[in-house]
Amino acid sequence: MMKKLALLPALLLVVGACEPAVEGTVTLREADSPFIAFDVWVKAGSQNDPAGKEGLAALTANLLSDGSTTQDSYDDIRAKLYPMAAGYGYDVDKEMTVFRGRIHRDNLEAYYELFRNSILSPAWSEADFERVKSQTMNFLERTRRYGRDEELSKELLFWMAYQGTPYVHPEEGYVQSVASITLDDVKQFYADYYLAGNVVVGIGGGYPRGFVQQVRADFDALPAGEVAQPPAPQPNMPDGVKVLIVEKDVDATAISLGFPTALKRGHEDFWPMVAMNSWFGEHRESFSHLYQVIRETRGMNYGDYSYIEAYPRGYTTQVPPTNVSRRSQLFEIWIRPISSTAPGNLHDRTLFATRAAWRELKLLVDNGMTEETLADTKQFLRNYALNWGQTISRRLGYAVDDTFYGMDPGYLREIRPALDRLTLDQVNAAIRRHLQVDNMWVVFITADAQAMKRKLLSGVATPITYAGEKPAELLAEDELIASFPIPVQEDDITIIGIEEVFEGN
Amino acid sequence: MRILVGTVFLLALAGSAVAQEADKIFPFDYRVVELENGFKAYLVNAGAPGQIAYVSMVRTGSRDEVEEGKTGFAHFFEHMMFRGTEKYPNFDSVTASMGAARNAFTSNDMTVYYEVAPSEYLATLVDLESDRFMNLSYAEPDFRTEAGAVLGEYQQGARSPFRYLSEAVRTTAFDAHTYRHTTIGFEADVRAMPEGYEYSINFHRRFYRPENVVLVLVGDFDYGEAERLITEHYSEWETGYQAPDIPVEPEQNRARRRTVEYPGRTLPVLSINYKGPAWSATDRTTVALEVLGQVAFGSTSDLYNELVVRDRKVQYLNAGFGLARDPSLVSITTMVMDPREVNTVEARIMQTVGRFKTDLVDEQVLADTKSNMKYDFLMGLETAQQIAFSMIGYVINTGSIETVEDYYRTLDAVTAEDVRTAAQQWLVDSGKTTVTMVQRRGR
Repeated sequence: MMKKLALLPALLLVVGACEPAVEGTVTLREADSPFIAFDVWVKAGSQNDPAGKEGLAALTANLLSDGSTTQDSYDDIRAKLYPMAAGYGYDVDKEMTVFRGRIHRDNLEAYYELFRNSILSPAWSEADFERVKSQTMNFLERTRRYGRDEELSKELLFWMAYQGTPYVHPEEGYVQSVASITLDDVKQFYADYYLAGNVVVGIGGGYPRGFVQQVRADFDALPAGEVAQPPAPQPNMPDGVKVLIVEKDVDATAISLGFPTALKRGHEDFWPMVAMNSWFGEHRESFSHLYQVIRETRGMNYGDYSYIEAYPRGYTTQVPPTNVSRRSQLFEIWIRPISSTAPGNLHDRTLFATRAAWRELKLLVDNGMTEETLADTKQFLRNYALNWGQTISRRLGYAVDDTFYGMDPGYLREIRPALDRLTLDQVNAAIRRHLQVDNMWVVFITADAQAMKRKLLSGVATPITYAGEKPAELLAEDELIASFPIPVQEDDITIIGIEEVFEGN
Repeated sequence: MRILVGTVFLLALAGSAVAQEADKIFPFDYRVVELENGFKAYLVNAGAPGQIAYVSMVRTGSRDEVEEGKTGFAHFFEHMMFRGTEKYPNFDSVTASMGAARNAFTSNDMTVYYEVAPSEYLATLVDLESDRFMNLSYAEPDFRTEAGAVLGEYQQGARSPFRYLSEAVRTTAFDAHTYRHTTIGFEADVRAMPEGYEYSINFHRRFYRPENVVLVLVGDFDYGEAERLITEHYSEWETGYQAPDIPVEPEQNRARRRTVEYPGRTLPVLSINYKGPAWSATDRTTVALEVLGQVAFGSTSDLYNELVVRDRKVQYLNAGFGLARDPSLVSITTMVMDPREVNTVEARIMQTVGRFKTDLVDEQVLADTKSNMKYDFLMGLETAQQIAFSMIGYVINTGSIETVEDYYRTLDAVTAEDVRTAAQQWLVDSGKTTVTMVQRRGR
């Protein structure tokens, strides 16, 4: 039988290190763990990409992570990692670059040397650069446009809302901007941002005593300095409804909609909005109210969710990403692709689902949550959140994000007491402060964009039919949904072809 | 080379689990509950305090879809398992009240259902899960509604190049066996699903039986209590599993080749496949075939270093040498940078195939590969859910988790000669299917 450590599950506990804190580190020592995790945070992201070189932060991290070092060739690095079944990787978001690694403690010493060298001693090989750049170009020109429409629609939503700000471009950049990046650009970016004071080293798990000091000393070999961040971006609240339709030969339509909020971790309304969002649209959970309305009751698609924080690549994961810390966020609704080849008029199902989500948002803004839905949400989320800190790597990722936001106690430690304290008044006041339905960025990726535009402008009802019997009550609600107004003007609808998407600035 | 993984883990996991004997790879103690009706449950105390992962593994997947027009049904049925019973008409509201993470997935050989929940809900979970496996009931309108969700799931991935390629490879390589179709199914069958209500009821009756389902429960719980609850709730489940009559694939006797056009933008993708054996924990040549995939085409192989890293002729090179319950394919897949060089790349792959039929693999490479395969297993044993999931392959292929030890013992014994024999035996032209996927002309 295993030891019962505490009543509060350890998954939400950030286990305090017994050692004195070392500046420039985030540590989570779990002495019994056979694993050691790294999360090295460089305070630079795609917002720091120079104009015309969008994608540079990502390409820099990519080259470090997948390139040779002055000690080892890329072949040798992979050969050395291979018997350990280990690797390391990177992630670049708007504001942060992280390098992540994980190793069994049998192999810590050999592994750490490779991991450290990858960040601190790059060889800047031209061949490595050409390889990672070519892989990125393939992604930009082909995979991004032809892989997952739903992910692309989300990226386009951010692109609309952040026009004119450093958040505007996708982290991987544009086709033309990446094409123009040279190895010298990468070296310059590294010289500008990979500075000792600009790097925070996160280490978690069963590492030995003294290890943190050793690692920090290694990273202090980087040139001294810290980079001041640009001011937080001011996203654009649309004046009314602004629609982007991407024309593409598809059988199902991807839909994203949303608008900026002033909400981020640490804001007094953050926890009330976490509760709101869990009820309204918990990611890939049938608990999501939108899921219940659109998928469970009506079988229109695979799922329907909402977000108060950026959640890239949500189709690949059921737990929130770590290290996507941002000083500006959108409220976002994700309607998974709606069939345009199911029975009915073209685009009616798409617009019905869009109207259904929009109408539910309006009901939420008008009426707020109830004592009952809030109680259900607390009951659900206080345990469900346990799943977010399952591994040492994820707990460490959260701890790094806590440092970004200056959250103390941190997210995982605070979520349960914060939920327990919430009142209905707080939640509903937060909903009124942060949500609205009149101003909306909307993205569709669909076939026959002109027909979609005409239908939107016409304002006609877009009813749907069902394969099976439905109760009269539901059909009555459907009538309200089908004619729910989407007030949009001709000038507010933009159509572009798929080949133009993220081609250039 | 014999790696002392077992002993290492005695130290590594002290305090978080009771380790088994030193020469075993699975580092946790476990108990087995076997009921008279054939139902089996493995109980493993491991993972974080206060949590359990409750994983029900059904040894039925798209492999069992033998009837014409019913491809995709195992996956569709997985959706229906969340539509409630008389006792628990709203399954989701029960798991939501626990705050459980719950989901399911289907593939060729399996349908797996899981919940990760606080330990205090063990009794509720046993009741809830045993109830839906035994007493599932749903009305036809709900069935039809869910068919819409499945069509959505089909369509959101329909344009993925990998789906295109996979469908082309399967339909070209297989004539009779149900591995001919993908798990999501053929589009026409997915569209016809709303009409399959009666079939779905039958599906449950035939396959969701105690002899065909294994429970793996991992986490923080009391063995005695779990054993009592499981015995109490699953003993009444009536036997009656009807093994499907899966067509045996006739022996392929010459190489096959096909080119497919992808209706989006892509560089050419070349997929070279060979008919392989069924998965085995004990047959050295079979395990050696999996080793061969890594050493010849894996991410540290000479060919990878040449094609991906040094000459940059391809975007990636993937070795898919994992085997399945029935004889299936092993695959080498690569994306070629320059469409004019597809033939050159294919020739290099074929030269490598030839080399491994004549030359012996380097002893150090073999040792590193064995180490890689073991650490890969051990690195994946952090959370209760991961530990339960690490057992899926063994349970699905053999019905028990004990075979994990057989498998790694066999792996230890694999020699360079075994790897060469595997290449000679399985990487043969008469069992080969080559598919090239190119961008549709005019794009």
